[in-house]
Amino acid sequence: MQVFKAMFKVMRSRLPSAMIYVVCFVVISAIIANASTNDNKFEAKRLDISIFDEDDTPESHALAEIIKKSNDIVEIEKDKDTILDSLYYRRIDYALIINKGYADKLRAGETAELFSSYHLDESFSVVYMGQFLDEYVSTVKAYLNMGKSFDEAAASAEQALSQNAKVNMLSRIDKGGNSHFSVDFAGYFQYMPYILISIIISVVSLVLVTMNRKDIRFRTNCSCLKESKYTAQLFIGSFVFVFFIWLVFMIFGAILNREMYTGRAWLAVLNSFIFAIVVATMAVLVASFEPKDNVLNLITQVLGLGMSFFCGIFIPVEVLGDGVLSAARFLPAYWYVKANNMIADITPYSFSEVVECYLIQLGFAAAMIIITLLVRKVKYSGAAISTAVKKKALTH
Amino acid sequence: MFLHIFKYELKNGLRTKDLIIWLILFPILLGTCFKIAFGSIYEKTEKFRSIPVAVVDDGDNAAFRQVIESIESADEPFLKATFTDKEKAEKMLDDGDVEGIIFTADKLSLTVKEKGIKETMLKSFVEQYTVREKIVMDAINTAPEKAQEVIASLTSDTASSCKEIPLTQGNPDPYVQYFYNLIAMVAMFGSITGMHITIQNQADLSPLGARNNCSPAPKSISIAACLAGSYIMQTVCMINCVTFLAFVLKVDFGDRLWLVYPSAILGGILGVSFGFFVGSIARVSIKAKTAILMSVSMALCFCSGLMVGNMKAVIAGKIPWFNNINPAAVISDSFYCLNIYEDYDRFISKLITMAVTSAAFIVLGFVISRRKKYASI
Repeated sequence: MQVFKAMFKVMRSRLPSAMIYVVCFVVISAIIANASTNDNKFEAKRLDISIFDEDDTPESHALAEIIKKSNDIVEIEKDKDTILDSLYYRRIDYALIINKGYADKLRAGETAELFSSYHLDESFSVVYMGQFLDEYVSTVKAYLNMGKSFDEAAASAEQALSQNAKVNMLSRIDKGGNSHFSVDFAGYFQYMPYILISIIISVVSLVLVTMNRKDIRFRTNCSCLKESKYTAQLFIGSFVFVFFIWLVFMIFGAILNREMYTGRAWLAVLNSFIFAIVVATMAVLVASFEPKDNVLNLITQVLGLGMSFFCGIFIPVEVLGDGVLSAARFLPAYWYVKANNMIADITPYSFSEVVECYLIQLGFAAAMIIITLLVRKVKYSGAAISTAVKKKALTH
Repeated sequence: MFLHIFKYELKNGLRTKDLIIWLILFPILLGTCFKIAFGSIYEKTEKFRSIPVAVVDDGDNAAFRQVIESIESADEPFLKATFTDKEKAEKMLDDGDVEGIIFTADKLSLTVKEKGIKETMLKSFVEQYTVREKIVMDAINTAPEKAQEVIASLTSDTASSCKEIPLTQGNPDPYVQYFYNLIAMVAMFGSITGMHITIQNQADLSPLGARNNCSPAPKSISIAACLAGSYIMQTVCMINCVTFLAFVLKVDFGDRLWLVYPSAILGGILGVSFGFFVGSIARVSIKAKTAILMSVSMALCFCSGLMVGNMKAVIAGKIPWFNNINPAAVISDSFYCLNIYEDYDRFISKLITMAVTSAAFIVLGFVISRRKKYASI
């Protein structure tokens, strides 16, 4: 098993950079897993709002209190630049000014221009707050019209507006219920392809390229080792490494999930294993082109980042454009993500479709192996070698 | 002598594959990925458009139907309703065709799939309907003679109570800042180029350095020539990056694109000077220097928001002074100022910060690397 041993010696030199990827991934996943919640109850979104009360009357304070009930108030300086920065970077969703004379105008039944808001863009939050303010004002006005005093009207309006509609969540979304695979935990498997691609291609390809370097190959070729045994050892070595990395992620996953995988979670585990195999075949293919170190780094980034952005690993599939998605079908990570989303119930689950995704990924692996064999055949065929020898002879 | 070294520095740069890969190809790749990822996310998730909703009208609630119709007749309706039965509605919600289902049977109720601003708006719409019912009931109970008037005031179209004060003419899409940070990242990668200047001129770090040291050219001139060459190469990389983003990917930098170029170039100069300075401080191997510079640059880019978009705002809340000295944040801020602010005050202050820090790095770099002479043996 000399070849096998030599492979691991080369791998050791790449281990520190691979470990950086592993540690970053696990730390980030741990943070995300801790921050997530598992309940399935609807909660209204609380906006972050800054209120600048220029009227400063009991009436305006009452309004501020009502806004505070269902939103979070953020105190910021009343400075145009600060407000603009806060709106742009989404520290606040809405900047409201209660104009001077608000109370007097409302008493008189006037509704126009009671408020101003600093406006950056027409977002959902802006429309929502605009509607809320209009609703409040017209409710108060309606009670005033009934002949109530202003204080009574304000109190009745507050009471009327505190109605709470019943909101049900669609029951299919089962967060960590029977399927034993919650939407939150699916995030762990969601980001895994990027890490698998980065680690496996950068390590396995590098090792294979090194083992295939001319002087090392010549030395191996003139040893008594059979070609088939040599290839088998390379294969076993790569497989052991890929399996080890995959296993590490599965163990961390079980720890983060705080329980052993059960039920549907095993499908996700199988999915990631199949993807790891696909990436391994990809690494072998990349290695057969014998790229230089810096080119290999670039290829790793192209494959890792490219697939992550194209196939919906870093960002949800639903925000990707249709054109991007139709192109992504030709990449294995697309099918990985598709299966993962079904298993996590983000899209409707169907066992046969999940298996279909598995098979398509395996198909990619098979295609990758065939291309690798072709490349090697062309590269190391008698014709190719004789041209190389001729070229060399000509240059000397 | 200056011109001679300058010429060779340029030739050297052109033949460095790493430079082409990391300063030209990598930004193009990452920019394309960003464009795919963030290109339509703002339009799709944050910018307001009608919320599609399914209405299951079992009880034949004519009043509600009327309300929906009157809403839909507006120019920019808040809702886009589809009347259907329960089964179909649930399928639509499941497939993401609608954001929620409103059931009208006896009491209005809402079913949604996610928890977000759109769902909250739907909830508040349903509540609004019940609020109005309550008002009308109250009116009939307390002051029946005025009920008609109250109903009229509720249904009449009132002017919006809120006046919007526009803050900027620029592009409000917050995801553009990923592109700002991408440019800042290219500038910070320039620090590696800057580091090579010290390696080429220090005899204990590379054979080339040893050769350069025994040449008759004064160290100051040879370093100055190398710096000039590196600046020119970095400038080419920066121009290439901005041009690719602005014209190929069509990223909206606001209406002052011609000013984006000088600030990107100044950012590149800042990056190279930073690398030159850091490279001349530590007497460690090339590998260690590269590792230090790469991790420092990446950490600075992280703090400026290359990986997490609102990082800069988080830092502005906790340690505001750090954004003013973090080179990556200053560079990306200059593009932000150009896009968002009408006046040039903040933009110019960012440019001055860049120029002053670059000058400081250069001077310090020269001071540290001078008089590193070697005994003749």
